[in-house]
Amino acid sequence: MTRKMVLIDTSKCTGCKACSVACKEWNELPAEKTKLVTSYQTQKDFTTKTWTYMTFIEKYENQKMDFLMRKAQCFHCANPACMKACSSQAITKTVLGYVLIDHDKCIGCGYCVENCPFGVPKLDPIKKKSYKCTGCIDRVENDLKPACVHTCQPGALQFGERDVLLTQAKKRLAEVQKTHPKAQLYGEKEMGGTTFLYLLLDSPDVYGLPVNPTIPLSLTLWKDVIRPVGGLAVGGAAAAVVIGVFANLLKGNYHSNKEKVGNDPSSINKGGKD
Amino acid sequence: MAIKMETRNQVPIRIVEDKVLRFSKGERISHWVHAISFFVLLFTGLGVLSTFFQPAMTILGGIHVARVIHRISALFFVVVVGLMFFIGNPRYHWRWIKFVFNFTKSDWQHVSAFPKEFFGGHGAYPEQEKYNGGEKINSLITIFGTVFITLSGIVMWWAPFFPVGLVRWAYPVHDLSMFLMTAAAIGHIYLGLLHPDSKAAMSGMLNGYVSKEFARAHHSAWYNRLKEEQKKSIKS
Repeated sequence: MTRKMVLIDTSKCTGCKACSVACKEWNELPAEKTKLVTSYQTQKDFTTKTWTYMTFIEKYENQKMDFLMRKAQCFHCANPACMKACSSQAITKTVLGYVLIDHDKCIGCGYCVENCPFGVPKLDPIKKKSYKCTGCIDRVENDLKPACVHTCQPGALQFGERDVLLTQAKKRLAEVQKTHPKAQLYGEKEMGGTTFLYLLLDSPDVYGLPVNPTIPLSLTLWKDVIRPVGGLAVGGAAAAVVIGVFANLLKGNYHSNKEKVGNDPSSINKGGKD
Repeated sequence: MAIKMETRNQVPIRIVEDKVLRFSKGERISHWVHAISFFVLLFTGLGVLSTFFQPAMTILGGIHVARVIHRISALFFVVVVGLMFFIGNPRYHWRWIKFVFNFTKSDWQHVSAFPKEFFGGHGAYPEQEKYNGGEKINSLITIFGTVFITLSGIVMWWAPFFPVGLVRWAYPVHDLSMFLMTAAAIGHIYLGLLHPDSKAAMSGMLNGYVSKEFARAHHSAWYNRLKEEQKKSIKS
């Protein structure tokens, strides 16, 4: 099995939101009350029950308005910050390039929520579990396309082998750049290369995406420096105590101390006079 | 309701017969509340520290119970000990702070000679006041560890109300404070319970008094000062 990829070609997207409906249907996620965020966008952020939604950026240029549309979902990073942050080894990466949360292991600590550079996982405070897009792993492993890809009418979503699709994406990019000079691929190198990869019409920050998403420095420091060094410090202290006890035993300090205690009353009586 | 202390609003007579009063009742209450809640916090935190410890959480009824106990004992750890600096007779708490933040040359000399003592030898260092260099370092680790673990803990407890950048840094700060305090506590317990020379200090934290012999041998500068003070107060 080789790494898969979903190409989100925003140049073909019509903003119909069918992908978010298909996601809800396949994953049996209930509908939520929504309200308009901008003229066309109804969902502001991910929730535990909304794993994909459409963002609409209104871009004004030469007195003309253009919609920049993007389907938001988990990127399924090759180098996932959530997996590094997870306290319970509940987040794993599959050979297909999918990043998954095992809800039997998840304890709802929220470390993935805080450390994802894209703000994807969301915590259910009642169930005490973290939720995000599964990439429809249950479909993909049974030779079906992810629900969002399956439903996409204009062909803005494509699913396939990563190598093949990436080459196609680059060809398509060259085409799109003729009309949109700032168009670029997002996810080829970001976070080690993401499984859900975008062809954006403008630079990522226009879409509200981080230009250089990384694993947070605090997370690296925490897991790769403080944890091992701190563990050594505690282990070192315990070892020093064991050595201390044995050194004192060998020197006979416990024994001589008892004798001293035996002599105590006389010396204390002498001291008690002043 | 103020807790009654034997040292309330009077200069206590420190040297009584063959014993020297080392810790007031308030100080002892603070110490033990802090110590017990620290170990409850440490144990209940282990389940989130590593999956290795997660099975142990079943003793408490699962990791979610452990996390609730963690938050409850955090209140004792912070609020009860914090209040002891303001209710009853908090003078001795503040004096402790004053002592340990005054780190002198003599303290350095004690610290550099201390490893020898730790492993059963005898190091040479000048006469020590109420707290020697090692005790000051232990106190400083406790003070700074408590402050940082509390601040980061507040951020982690109410994570959604804080900026994400702050929450991300709270995790390493919380862990670092825990590791430092745990390492210090291991050494502290050894010296209080198992070390042949220094375990005589233990009674100071139980009934407040240490033997005159211990005071003279380990804190002669303190003992001599108390003797002088007591002489003066009796004369006047």
